[in-house]
Order: sequence, then structure tokens, then C-alpha cells
Amino acid sequence: MATPTREDLVQRVFRILRDEILTVDAGFTPRSNLVKAGLDSLAVTQLMLSIEEQTGVWVDESLLTPEHLATAESLGALVHAQLTAS
Amino acid sequence: MRPPRIPLTGADCFLRAFDAEIARWNGASHVSQLVLRLGPGFDVAIFRKLMDAVARAQPMLRARVARAWGIGAPVYQIGSAESRPAPRFAVHDVEQAPREGDVLAAVFQRRLNEKRSLRRGEMLRIDAVRYAAGAAGTDLALSWMHPLFDGAGSERFVSWLDECHRGVRRPDELPDPGELGPSAAPLRTLRERGDAARRWQRWLAGFGAHPVHSPGGARRRVPQALSADLLTLDPARTERAVANAGRRSGFLTPMLFYLAVAIRAHHAVYRARGADPGSYLVPLPVNLRPRGTEGAIFRTHVSLIWFQVLPERADDFDALVADLKGQRLAAIKARHIENGVDAMHFSRLLPSRWYARMARRYQRGELCSFFFAYTGEFAPDLERFCGAEVRNAFHVAPVPPSPGSCLAFSQRGGRLNATHVHQAGVFSESERALMRDTLRADLLDEG
Repeated sequence: MATPTREDLVQRVFRILRDEILTVDAGFTPRSNLVKAGLDSLAVTQLMLSIEEQTGVWVDESLLTPEHLATAESLGALVHAQLTAS
Repeated sequence: MRPPRIPLTGADCFLRAFDAEIARWNGASHVSQLVLRLGPGFDVAIFRKLMDAVARAQPMLRARVARAWGIGAPVYQIGSAESRPAPRFAVHDVEQAPREGDVLAAVFQRRLNEKRSLRRGEMLRIDAVRYAAGAAGTDLALSWMHPLFDGAGSERFVSWLDECHRGVRRPDELPDPGELGPSAAPLRTLRERGDAARRWQRWLAGFGAHPVHSPGGARRRVPQALSADLLTLDPARTERAVANAGRRSGFLTPMLFYLAVAIRAHHAVYRARGADPGSYLVPLPVNLRPRGTEGAIFRTHVSLIWFQVLPERADDFDALVADLKGQRLAAIKARHIENGVDAMHFSRLLPSRWYARMARRYQRGELCSFFFAYTGEFAPDLERFCGAEVRNAFHVAPVPPSPGSCLAFSQRGGRLNATHVHQAGVFSESERALMRDTLRADLLDEG
């Protein structure tokens, strides 16, 4: 199976957050502020479990920094980096 | 138009069961407190007028809670609420200002141990203790029955009250609660949800392999006599504690650091006594309000993650935190947060005693080792309340005489508060001092 691209992972993270985890309006984009959208620790763990289910890669929560959690785009970039490193 | 009845949530019913237990065995109620420590400038007359307007606009503040026609799930009887008395507000004048670390004025302590009736709609009482006629500040306590709010809801309530005071909202205009469903996965079938509830029950049953011996002991018939100790860290020490939490448990899950601190504080007492705790079994409340909405004020919107730790694990702080992290991840992965919602939702139809019976059945008469809560920053948007600066604010969470101990952590204005509520006779003076010292040492990494 081909490794997903960075953009592909950003879109996956974005869709999981938008459709399954957060309550967001139509203006929500991959660059929207996640903390303002209500992202909390439980949401992050649920997101990581979904990512693991889809890609087989577990992103250790202790690696996460506030910068990673800023937007779906920054989170997707981290997942991509983890995936290519594994 | 108002609905004539509003159903209790599953979590409301879970907590209502504690109230029934305390009423039956300990002659009191399950009353939570929110305490605002205010500076000068709190205007009693304005607050009274505000509460009158809010009580008229929000009938849940005085609605009776009962099963409609004696059957079915319990409901708030909104239709008859207008004839019920509004929440009582009393002012008490005291000359001496409280010292740092004093937590409960005598009247607040009395409220914590009062007998209230949900069936009579005795949901909320408010007391203001004015120091030097208010010139040295005022302590305000909201003493509420659990189906009315949960901890987060009570913080939203005082923030909303202040918004009404400032004219930002009207008393009949509540924040957007979001879509509150019975389950975090509402599209599942009834059968799937039944299976989920059974998985939750089996999960609880599994903890019975290591039964707990709580500080208060198994269920007993004693008058409830709760009091509280408050540990407040100054901003510099709070910064150290927060940094320590980030280092030990990661910035995403500070609650696990505080849970480890709470376990170790109890562990120190057991070691000093030479007593066996069996295991440490502690429920962690999880907020279920829809993310990205302002969130509901009224009713309880939580599920629980249960943690169980063997005593030897509590000796090593980092191993303890790692264990708690693993248990949290496993519980989320197994969907026990959602399973708990389903179990509590189904059980609304059963008698209150069913809940407590289920919890105790697996633990030989015990509910858990102690209660715990970490609620983060206390009402961060609330800088002033009805004209007065909010100097400090914290929760005084209730605990039945068994397990007899509750530790709750929160932050306010850069200061960390740890409130230890305990039943009379459960801890000696020296044990309370030992807990305080252990807490401080672990929070500040001074061990």
C-alpha cells in the first residue's frame, strides 16, 4: 500500500475532526483554530485512534505540542512525518 | 413555549442515586458547592434582584424532580415549577476576613451537610458571607443538588449570571447547549447500545478482583459530617506544579498527573496507618458537552473513566502515571466512555438503588477508594462577579461518608486549588497534615 501524501493525511485529519469529533460550522477549514473549535484531550485521543485505524500508525500523545494541535493542517503534517519515519 | 417536563440525563440519575443513598444511610443530601471569593464591591441588593429575575425565567431552578405518574424516567416537572419557591439567598455578616487556606465559613459547611429534597425542588441555596460589611470582601457559595448542574455547568451558571448582570444576555436567554444526545454515538441500534451497557457493567465487575478498602469503610449508618481543607498554591508555585504536570504526564493529560498526586496522598495515609487499601479504584468524570458549542448549563453531562491501581504501583510516581495513561487509552479505545453513557441512560427507568447496588456489588459494600475531579481553569472568562473582583474560586465536591474522601483540583487566576472534602472521623489531624504535605511535595516535585 502506497504511503499517503501529506495533503492526503491533512484531509483525513480534517474530515475526521469535522465529521466525527467536533461540532463545527461550514466555515471550518484545515487551517481553522482547533482549540477554538473545542479540541480537548479526549478528542485528540479519539482522533489518534481513528488515524491508527486508517493508517496503522500510532502517534504517541506525549510527542504532541500545542503547535501540532493548532490546526488540522499541522496535525496532518505530524501524522505524515510519523508515518514516513516508521 | 416551555416543555411541561424535561427528562433527567442518565448521569443525573446516577448522581441522584448517591443522593438517595446518603438520605437513607446518612441523613443528608448530595450537595455540591461552588465558592467565589470576591473582593469589595459585591452588591447584595443587585444580586438579589438578579436572582429573582433568573428564577422567574428559569423554572429548572425550582422544579420538582420525580417520575411522571410515578413511573418512567425521572423528569423535571417544569409545568408546576412556577408555584414553587425561588432559591433562597441569605447574607451573613462576619467581622474577621478569612485567612488564606480557610475554606468554608461555618454556614457553608452546614449547607454541605443539609438534607434537601429533589421531590420538593430544593435545587439551589445561595449564601453570602460578608467580611467587615463587605469592605474586606465577600465569600459567595452556591450549594446545589447534582441534577441541576455538574461542575462545569455550575461554572457556566455563574458566568451567565454575570452576563445577565452586565446586560450581555437576558435571564431567559441561555447559551447554546449544542446537540445533547443520549449517547456519543446516537446512530447505533437499541441492541448495540444494550450490548455497550453490558460491556460497561462487565468492566466494573472486573475491578472486583482487587476489592478496595476506602478511608471511610464500607457503607455505614452515620450522620454525614463533611468538612474541607483547601490548599492554594501561589502563582510561582502553581507555575512549577503545572510544569511538573506537563513533564510527568504531557500537556494534554494533566488530569492524570493530578490523579496520581491524589492517589499518592491517600497512599501516604495508608502507609502511615500500616493499612491495606486493597487497590485504589477511582472514577474520573469526563465532560460530554458537544465540542465547539457554548455548552449546556443545566443537568449533568458527564461519563466516567474508572482507574484501578495496585498499592505497590503508587510508590513510583512515573510508573503510576504511565499506568494511568495506559488505562485511559484502553478505556477510550474500548469505548467505555460511550458505554457508560448507554448504561446510565438505560438505567433511568430503574429504581435509584439499582445504581448503587451495581457499584457496590463488585466491591463488597464500597463505591470506590475516593472521589476525584480535575476541572482545569475555573470560569476563565469571569474576571468580576456582580461588580466585585473574583479573587479566587473553587469547587467543594461532595462525597458520601463511604468512601469518605474527595480531592478536587482546579486553577483560578494563576493559582492552583486543591480541595480535600472528608467525613468527620475518617482522617486524624496528623493524617490531614500528612496528606497536605504529600500533595505539596508531589505537586512541586519536592519529594
